[in-house]
Amino acid sequence: MAGFSDLNIPQGPDKKSMQGLLETAAHLGYSAVALNHVIDFKEKKQEIIKPVSPSELFPSLPVVQGTSKRIKVLTRLTLVISDPSHCNLLRSTSPNIRLYDIIAVFPKTEKLFHIACTTLDVDLVCINVTEKLPFYFRRPPVNVAIDRGIYFELLYTPAIKDSTMRRYTISNAISLMQICKGKNIVVSSAAERPLELRGPYDVANLGLLFGLSEGEAKAAVSTNCRAAMLHGAFSASQNIWELRKNRKVLLCFTSTETGLWALWMQPKWMLCFREVPVSCE
Amino acid sequence: MVRFKNRYVLCEVVSEDPRCRQCIEDRAVGLAVRDAIGRVHGDFGLACCSISFTVKYLNAYTGTVLLRCRKDSYRLLCSALPFVRQLESRNQRYPCFLNTLHVGGTIRTCQKFLIEYNRRQLLMLLQSCTNEEERRCVQKSLLSCSLTEEQCLSGNEDDDDDGTDTD
Repeated sequence: MAGFSDLNIPQGPDKKSMQGLLETAAHLGYSAVALNHVIDFKEKKQEIIKPVSPSELFPSLPVVQGTSKRIKVLTRLTLVISDPSHCNLLRSTSPNIRLYDIIAVFPKTEKLFHIACTTLDVDLVCINVTEKLPFYFRRPPVNVAIDRGIYFELLYTPAIKDSTMRRYTISNAISLMQICKGKNIVVSSAAERPLELRGPYDVANLGLLFGLSEGEAKAAVSTNCRAAMLHGAFSASQNIWELRKNRKVLLCFTSTETGLWALWMQPKWMLCFREVPVSCE
Repeated sequence: MVRFKNRYVLCEVVSEDPRCRQCIEDRAVGLAVRDAIGRVHGDFGLACCSISFTVKYLNAYTGTVLLRCRKDSYRLLCSALPFVRQLESRNQRYPCFLNTLHVGGTIRTCQKFLIEYNRRQLLMLLQSCTNEEERRCVQKSLLSCSLTEEQCLSGNEDDDDDGTDTD
């Protein structure tokens, strides 16, 4: 049974507040969180810096409530794209991008949503919850994204803070549900303070408000998050054989002392293996 | 069999401010939850949920709250609980949130869960004990927590030690 994870905790400048956030998340029962670094291309040209390693930021990680393991901290990059030229950064395989565990993209127009679902090499596509969507979802790109293993992310903290955001969140979420039928959804917070986090059971109940069934809502907090993390681990590999974007056939998992190793087959019968940087429960 | 079926929701009040503990009383919590249901589900939700809605048990030291509602409307209640943002009493407002621990059909199942949960909390407290005296107190309460017939819910924690932890 996969543990609960929260894949979006914005990375703030203050170490103490991040430590407070991590402790609250561990107390609530989350086994993994991802520190999110947002890059917005509309502002002045920003460089993609190397991710700060979590072990430097937090010398001692708190223990998750209910288990005896420490909370796992991953790094995540979110690119807010509003122009097709911004996608070149992803395609150009800049070395710093591959160092992040999870890569997410936040498309602002319909064309970019289509490009993100079909061709871009990302793990999460963020759905806007703070304003009315300027475009309607269409079935073809959403189905392609589900086949490729890309997850759609919904945030819940704006809904808790403000009542108009709540309406936009629910309407955008329900319109997404009607197209994707509840598959491949990840619900996460964008909590800047510990009081904005909610426990995983409560987040699953929020999923019911968004139109998910009970099993899908629980999966949105646990198994889908884990699958997104694994998807990120596979595509960010730096093997000798170059990973293509088409289907990879997973052969086996073995768990050794150093961690989880995955062996999979590439097109044209090439084999690769890599250590997967997520904990197995 | 004709019987009204209820659901009991066990929650924990989590707050950063230690003074919030003294503000936890049944009227304040009940008002906050009803207000959240009204904001999220409107008049219909508020009316449905308040048919048999009460705060059955409250422990201010650990921040544990047991709410009761009808089985038909417990989904409305559970989906509105994340939207509780503050507790207000005696003109004091404290920001906090409710963390749902367990939903059960009877008070007894919630009590059993609460005992296990408190035992785990005591174990974690034991690991972070600094004082020999505290250690002995915690160990004594760990050995004594069990479900007996005459024991009420509040007799299962050691109040002195739990008052010192601020989350």
